[in-house]
Amino acid sequence: MRRLFGPSIAALAAVLLIAGAAAAADNEIPLTIEKGQFQPSEVKVKANTPFVLVITNKNPKAAEFESKDLRVEKVVPAGKTVNVRIRALKPGTYAFFDDFNQATTGRIVAE
Amino acid sequence: MGGTFVVTLREGFEAALILGIVYTYLQKIGAERQYHYVTRGGLLGVLASIALGVLVTVLSGPLLDLGPDVIGLAVIFIAVVVLTWHGYWMQQHARAVKGEVQRRIDEAQATHRLWIVGVLAFTGVFREGAETVLFLWGLMTQATTTSGWASALGAVLGLAMAATLGWGIFRSGRHISLQRFFAITSVFLLFLAAGMFSTGVGRLEAMGFLPQTPIAWDTSPILDDHGFVGGFLNGLVGYRSRPSVLEVGSYLLYLAAAGMLLFRSGPPRAQSSEPRGRIPAHVA
Repeated sequence: MRRLFGPSIAALAAVLLIAGAAAAADNEIPLTIEKGQFQPSEVKVKANTPFVLVITNKNPKAAEFESKDLRVEKVVPAGKTVNVRIRALKPGTYAFFDDFNQATTGRIVAE
Repeated sequence: MGGTFVVTLREGFEAALILGIVYTYLQKIGAERQYHYVTRGGLLGVLASIALGVLVTVLSGPLLDLGPDVIGLAVIFIAVVVLTWHGYWMQQHARAVKGEVQRRIDEAQATHRLWIVGVLAFTGVFREGAETVLFLWGLMTQATTTSGWASALGAVLGLAMAATLGWGIFRSGRHISLQRFFAITSVFLLFLAAGMFSTGVGRLEAMGFLPQTPIAWDTSPILDDHGFVGGFLNGLVGYRSRPSVLEVGSYLLYLAAAGMLLFRSGPPRAQSSEPRGRIPAHVA
């Protein structure tokens, strides 16, 4: 178990670096959580093109951006910004919500 | 209050199930003195959850973007391996227990590395732990108004309810026979692991490491996997209301592979052919 620890940390770091570099190259789409609302609550994106959701949480408590349609679960701590890479989407509507406050909802429209 | 109750109950449910099962397991094989493996594993899981929760609020940039995902994936796949190993071992042992119970039990303690159950406890708690820590933390900071207090109270009650369920399993598990307990829980752990495996594969699919596949079915209007009942089924057997083809495929593949491993050389029995359906509700 312990012998595997060092290599796994190294592998983790490598994955983070590669993925981080890849994320920086994509087009970014801002999304803000403020006063228990997503701003904007409807995010328009180009279909069939990967993008990065740049989610900023301006609420005083942590949020969890979650979308069952996109299979994403991402904690966004209070006052933080998190980048979430989203794969190329087929045209359509994809719902998301804040799992820590489920009244907060929004959707992505890919067209 | 009701909303936060459901959230923490859902998050804590899986951990409580696993802890209840492994404590009962140790009690069954007469290894009460080895409870500390589970207790320490569980406590380490709580500490790691708090540490990750704190870390996430301190980190930023790519580390915050991907670190929790990578850790989450690692925990999922380690949990799958450990669950499979333990399930396999229990199945083997259930078969071996005939007469000479005490000798078999001593053998069990000697051959099954009991720290495995500690790892099981750790991954069980840590899997949803950091999320729960951040959720609770957020509620506590808001607990200045009456509704804020009610939400925080609901969340704590949800965790307490999950713990009670785990305790209930432990209490009732003590009274069934060793063989039966091993047989039931090894099948049950198989479904639990299948659900986790397909969750991990789904994450990889969403992150772009695996090809994207269409949605296999949509039962979310009938039984949402985020609702009360659906959430329980999700924790128990990995039920999903909108799984992708790849998620369903990996679920079935895991069941087939692990099922074969578990029941391969055993006497013919009803269980060996049953894990086929889309939603194995009969196990719930």
